[in-house]
Amino acid sequence: MCDDFHMAVTVVIVDDHQSFRTSARTLLELEGFDVVGEASDGARAVELAQELEPELVLLDIALPDMNGFEVAERLAGGPSKVILTSSRAQRDLGRRVRSSGALGFVPKDRLSGQELTALLEEGR
Amino acid sequence: MSRWLAVVLGAAGVALGIAAYYAQINALNSPHAVAQVAVGWAYLVAGIIAWDRRPANRMGRLMVVTGFALLARQLRYSDNAFLFTVCFILGDLGYALVGHSALAYPTGRVKDRAERALVVAGYTAVLVFPLLAALFYGGTSPLLYFGRLSRNSLINVTDDGHVVELLQKAEVVVFFGVLATLFIVLIARRLWLATPRMRQILAPLLVAAVAAGLRAIFECVFTFVDAPFAADYLFWWQFVALFALPLALLAGLLQARLARAGVGDLVVEVEHAGPQELRDALARTLGDPTLEVAFWLPERETYADARGRPVELPGDGGRAVTYLDNDGEPLAAIVHDSSLLEEPKLVRAAGAAARLALENAQLQAETRAQLVQVKESRVRIVAAADEERKRIERDLHDGAQQRLAALALQLRTAQRRLGSGEADPAVEELLEAAVLELQAANEELRELVRGVYPAILTEEGLAAALESLALRNPFPIELDVLECRLPARIEATAYFVTCEGLANVVKHAHATKASVHIGRQNGELAVEIADDGVGGAVPLENSGLSGLSDRVEALGGRLHVVSPIGAGTRLLAEIPCE
Repeated sequence: MCDDFHMAVTVVIVDDHQSFRTSARTLLELEGFDVVGEASDGARAVELAQELEPELVLLDIALPDMNGFEVAERLAGGPSKVILTSSRAQRDLGRRVRSSGALGFVPKDRLSGQELTALLEEGR
Repeated sequence: MSRWLAVVLGAAGVALGIAAYYAQINALNSPHAVAQVAVGWAYLVAGIIAWDRRPANRMGRLMVVTGFALLARQLRYSDNAFLFTVCFILGDLGYALVGHSALAYPTGRVKDRAERALVVAGYTAVLVFPLLAALFYGGTSPLLYFGRLSRNSLINVTDDGHVVELLQKAEVVVFFGVLATLFIVLIARRLWLATPRMRQILAPLLVAAVAAGLRAIFECVFTFVDAPFAADYLFWWQFVALFALPLALLAGLLQARLARAGVGDLVVEVEHAGPQELRDALARTLGDPTLEVAFWLPERETYADARGRPVELPGDGGRAVTYLDNDGEPLAAIVHDSSLLEEPKLVRAAGAAARLALENAQLQAETRAQLVQVKESRVRIVAAADEERKRIERDLHDGAQQRLAALALQLRTAQRRLGSGEADPAVEELLEAAVLELQAANEELRELVRGVYPAILTEEGLAAALESLALRNPFPIELDVLECRLPARIEATAYFVTCEGLANVVKHAHATKASVHIGRQNGELAVEIADDGVGGAVPLENSGLSGLSDRVEALGGRLHVVSPIGAGTRLLAEIPCE
């Protein structure tokens, strides 16, 4: 949780399901994150990340045009940290979660501001 | 041919031969007289035999006529003016007939246009030149081959020795120079163009070419070169070739008969033969190593080979097809050298002799074709089932799992909102219970989806999928899995075998550790799941593995279990992967 003394963390949410993006935005904004953009595919995600330079990109793995690992690889080295998310469990996703350059992974149904903050703290 | 006709022809030939012999001996006392008669008789005897054995073929009659013509030629030496005139004018017909019968071999008909033109030219040459010579021959100048003999031409108009000499030499140049050369060229062409089997049949024509060549050289030397020794020497060479020619033609004609006799042996030979042996026996009997048998498959209305694979029957070209049927129902097709079309009866006889075996072989081919079909359809069923599993996995992932994920976030949002104000603790508890319930439901759904078709198998391959599987196992597993990607149906089969194998280890083996080795061996993917448990596993067919055994066999592989009591269990699958 962020308190008022801290600047809110800027986030771009990338997922091809509108309902998930909306629910995630509501929850994260409630928990003090600043959701600056949403993307429904990989190409748009890369564009938005370059344009808005958010601190965090919350990135779904199953995207229509490319998979989240590829997007994470493209964003690696940039100003934004990447946290991968999926409705699958991490161990069902194999080695690429670690090798993609993403900061970490959170299952969709366990997403919360706390989880994200913890991963960001770990990666700092 | 009736026996009477044969006797009459034979007697006439003997009489004519004796007359021919004496006509020449009385006139010239020639040492060649016997040889000339012998060639005539050789044609006559060969012709009578051929006529008798293959009455439908015109070769026999043609050779009989040739024999008579060759014998009659010698009557031109007679001092009877009528016999001289007739036999002098018509005498050389015998040589034109020799050429004709060679070109007509083996059917008795000259089919090729060039060959037909040559035959016509030959008859014309041997008739026109002697006819003209007889008009100018008055008995004063010597005739070719007649030594110093003088004869009386009944159609003499004017006596001009130069013209007669010119005409006789012209005949030698045209008939034995030009036409004999063309004859040899056409025979060489025919042999060159023939299929291998036809070339065998046409072998007697080589004798014909040699005979024509030697006779031509002999005639030219005799006519234009004053070398009696060389001419005499050449006479005997060409005699041997000319004498051998009718015998070679006869042998060639009877060869097909011999082959038909071999058909009898075929019945015994193929009694218990399978499709392949049957083909070999037919190829041997018909003398065509390229022969193929195609069996009619009534169910599919198509022809198939001995292994049950569909066969395209040739339309045109050097191959020909003979269709065999059984009471109007197609049975088989014999694809053979087109030269066998000359002997349709032989092919049909062989087909009839092999009928029982063919029916048998047709059944076998049909069964094999069905087996091929069943195998193919088993593979398709496995692939279709996998596709269906993948589709269900995708649908669950894109549908229920997404909705449940969104629902979890909404519940958490509700918790946060309540937490920020004054909330009823009962509602907070209820919400917390709902969140936990939802997480459990999600976990179960994930487990279900994994069992249906693990997405990681599609996306990352067998090694990654098995690593993920090993992570969930209650005790450590030693993994040694080949890294490269394989066709989806093979990866899926290896994965499900490993899954089921490990599940059995957990349930029944009381093991402390297990290992999975997957590697390529001799074109097969070898999957081995071993444990250090109690062994004594139930046989495959009684276990939950029997469905997987079907799946492995559908891909042409084998699944077996080695499980001695007290010494662990090894589950082995070998799946062809090439």
